[in-house]
Amino acid sequence: MIKKTVLILILLNTTLFSQVEGGITIPYINFPMKDGKGIYSTRGKCNMCHSWGYTINQGNQSKQFWRKKVIKMIAVFKAPIKSEDIDEVVNYLFENYGNGIDK
Amino acid sequence: MKRRTFFKRAILTVGTATIGNHSIEASKTIQPVDNRKVSNIAFPEKRPLITYSDRPPLLESPREVFTSSITPNDLFFVRWHMPIIPNYINPNNFHININGLVNKEIKVSLKELKEEFEQVELTAVLQCGGNNRTAFKPIAGGIQWGVGAMGCAKWKGARLSDVLKKAGLKKDAKYIGFNGEDKAVYNKTSNFVRELELEHLNNNIILAYEMNGEDLPYLNGYPLRLIIPGTYSDSWIKMISNITVLKDKQKLHFMEKAYRIPDNDCECETPDNLVQKTKPIEEMNVNSLIGYPTTGTKVKNNSNLIVRGIAFDAGHGIKRVQISLNGGELWEDATLDDGSQGKYAYRSFSYKLKPKSSGELTILCKASNEKGEEQPFAKNIKWNHGGYKYNGIDKVTIEVIA
Repeated sequence: MIKKTVLILILLNTTLFSQVEGGITIPYINFPMKDGKGIYSTRGKCNMCHSWGYTINQGNQSKQFWRKKVIKMIAVFKAPIKSEDIDEVVNYLFENYGNGIDK
Repeated sequence: MKRRTFFKRAILTVGTATIGNHSIEASKTIQPVDNRKVSNIAFPEKRPLITYSDRPPLLESPREVFTSSITPNDLFFVRWHMPIIPNYINPNNFHININGLVNKEIKVSLKELKEEFEQVELTAVLQCGGNNRTAFKPIAGGIQWGVGAMGCAKWKGARLSDVLKKAGLKKDAKYIGFNGEDKAVYNKTSNFVRELELEHLNNNIILAYEMNGEDLPYLNGYPLRLIIPGTYSDSWIKMISNITVLKDKQKLHFMEKAYRIPDNDCECETPDNLVQKTKPIEEMNVNSLIGYPTTGTKVKNNSNLIVRGIAFDAGHGIKRVQISLNGGELWEDATLDDGSQGKYAYRSFSYKLKPKSSGELTILCKASNEKGEEQPFAKNIKWNHGGYKYNGIDKVTIEVIA
């Protein structure tokens, strides 16, 4: 019994325990997308890399803002969005999450 | 109903004018959004928080949290850049690599970090540069944070300078690059890398393995994160696993494009005339927040109410916190705590109040620091495109019932 306790103490001294045994699971949160033209294309292109919440919590923005964001995703973060598909995504974002202002 | 009127009024002050499809909306600043509810789903090691995204996790603390000078780990806000975060870290295998312009490239295990380096403890505020971004009109790009993208914790760890000393810096070392274990979905996407200029290295910068006496929560960067007291948190890398010392500045999006403000005296610009020359956001502005009461709180007339909140700055030291009950004409001092948590921590304050008439009562709070800086009114804060560094006088409106 004493031996066992000593062994445990030694283990405690040399082993670090993680805060959460076995790691964590990040919950899936559903951020519904507004229905509209281009929804499927946009869903695939944006939600592949990050949540829809990350997109819509930028606030309702101008068409130019959304265009710049989509281009940034391609240019900076290497999102595999073809240049001919940019307009469809930008239009969906602006139609459904826009502020009515082009620029 | 009265509460709704209040928000409607706040919205009306924005004053948008549109000609054709081009905005001539004046850039303005108002009180940040303050009525968002916590989610009904809790994230690991967290209580339910205001939830903007799950991938990457983006969680904000509700206002009620800011009554005490330490933010509990399970109420502490969360902000990651990259969506893929390891969901398990084995503390027995974890180590940090120090490489680049060093005499000897080394790996330091968590155990070595805890046992072979002097342990340093300090309390410091961690605040997102975009905290309160909803104050900026037109809407600035980035997550539309309310008031709670900040927290204050007691951090324990090893000095970055001690760890670098062990590797030995070479003569031409000038920049220290940091990155953590979070990754993008595509391997072509660059990691979230931040840099510190060697001349900004000081003994308060630590590699922290404890937060408020516990392991860091995973979502706050378990098992190790960088702490740079006094600065906004853009460089406080979470799950930090690599340090590369370099001679030249790297080309990094998150250094050269993000987290920058106009390099002029007012740190301001207009949407139609963005300033080309920018600088990093770095040092935190003097700021304060009322944790209780919150807007919409109902109290009885003639009841004893204690207003509680927190104040902080970049480490110059909070001099006073003042409360106004008449829109800022008359200010009275709140009582500050003893400041024993140190100059980088929250100072908690309290103010005794006995409402004398029924109806809406607006409470303002304003902090000033030893450097002579004072929080401006929200409307006097100038706009910047990233919505950074807001520090307007805080405001809550309660309802006094006869």
